[in-house]
Amino acid sequence: MSEKSKTQVSVSDALAMLAECFNLPVEDMHADLQRDAIDDWDSMGALMLMAELDERFGIELTAEVSREMTRIGDVLAFLKVHGVLSENA
Amino acid sequence: MSQSNIGGFRIAGISTCLPPMVVDNLDPALGFPPEDVRKVVAMAGVRERRVVDPSITSADLCHRAATRLMERLGWAPESVSALIFVTQTPDHFLPSTSCLLQQRLGLPDTCAAFDVGLGCSGYPYGLYIAAAMLRAGGHQRVLMLHGETPSRFVSPEDQATVLLFSDAGSATALELDDTPGAGGQFVLHTDGSGANGLILRGGAFRDREPANPRHHFLEMDGAAIFNFTIKRVPPLIAETLAFAGKTVAEVDAFVFHQSNRFIMKHLMKKSGLPDDRVPMSIEDSGNCGGPSVAVAMTRRLTPPAPGQRLHWMLLGYGVGLSWGSAMIQIDDRAVLLHDDGEGLSLNRGANDE
Repeated sequence: MSEKSKTQVSVSDALAMLAECFNLPVEDMHADLQRDAIDDWDSMGALMLMAELDERFGIELTAEVSREMTRIGDVLAFLKVHGVLSENA
Repeated sequence: MSQSNIGGFRIAGISTCLPPMVVDNLDPALGFPPEDVRKVVAMAGVRERRVVDPSITSADLCHRAATRLMERLGWAPESVSALIFVTQTPDHFLPSTSCLLQQRLGLPDTCAAFDVGLGCSGYPYGLYIAAAMLRAGGHQRVLMLHGETPSRFVSPEDQATVLLFSDAGSATALELDDTPGAGGQFVLHTDGSGANGLILRGGAFRDREPANPRHHFLEMDGAAIFNFTIKRVPPLIAETLAFAGKTVAEVDAFVFHQSNRFIMKHLMKKSGLPDDRVPMSIEDSGNCGGPSVAVAMTRRLTPPAPGQRLHWMLLGYGVGLSWGSAMIQIDDRAVLLHDDGEGLSLNRGANDE
């Protein structure tokens, strides 16, 4: 894991990042929000998310894992697995 | 490890030719949902594309580019002893299109000619082969042509590819040069495990007549290709700089394969490259495959001032998966030419010239 990938964010910061990525108001963003309900979580939105995670944390979101994500909670779980979501947030 | 430092050659000139037909991606007649088109255009950065009439091939575009370049350089056809044609859109499966181009360009029968089947990474690979041939001896002048017509193999119903890809031909002239320090550095890579990320499955000998009609057209896994690019290209830039013994500040231009503006911007940010040293031609030339490297140079860069020598890093990456770089020098005698294909005969085949 690179130095960059040790950067940690809180759940609320992660939700704000995802809201910006998918062009949604941050107050609408929550773990149970389904991918189907997010217009901008399309093929281009998936690239935006990959770029954001690469740039901000230096972690690789593969195409396969990206396709398996069905809700915002899956992204949060992915961040947690990679050690970038702070536990006490 | 494929890292090569090849001395004793110079790039005499680079010439490009685009087809005359311009397609505006925002034209409602294309039939895609306007909001989808707006998003694709905003992200990929392709406002208009240049596409061939079905009677025009990559070889035709390259022929035009090479003819103009040889005229400008004053190169007699008999002075060229090798022709390399890099393409994934040949005129025929066989013979090699390079053989047809040898005849069309009036090159002598003492000229070596062969095709190289690479796409997005083709420009640095082609230069590497040409430089290695010069260095190996027996050659004084080599032509490296690189042309693609991706518009011919994208599905008209696939907006992710049809709105992105464009067509282009290029010709690059290389010759021996005994000036101290002349030459360039090359770094080449391959990872065939990602081949399915960008593939045209049908029509060749693995599956001559595919049952699935989709297999007649290019299939692109955009996420997989994006992931490959951001994983592989920044290390390629770093590796090339280290191998050439240069810093970012010592390179006058970083010329990317014009894949997608969003991807290029991300790569630039990740590698710390300043905007003013990364030419972009994708807005009005689209992603024309590997020749986009040449198009970005001829359309967006200016030749050196008298007495100046510029250092450009050329970066190709994509289908294969294949990626590579060339650190080249452009001296004040080098010629950069661009042609918008005006007057290019729409019904001229290989045997009509």
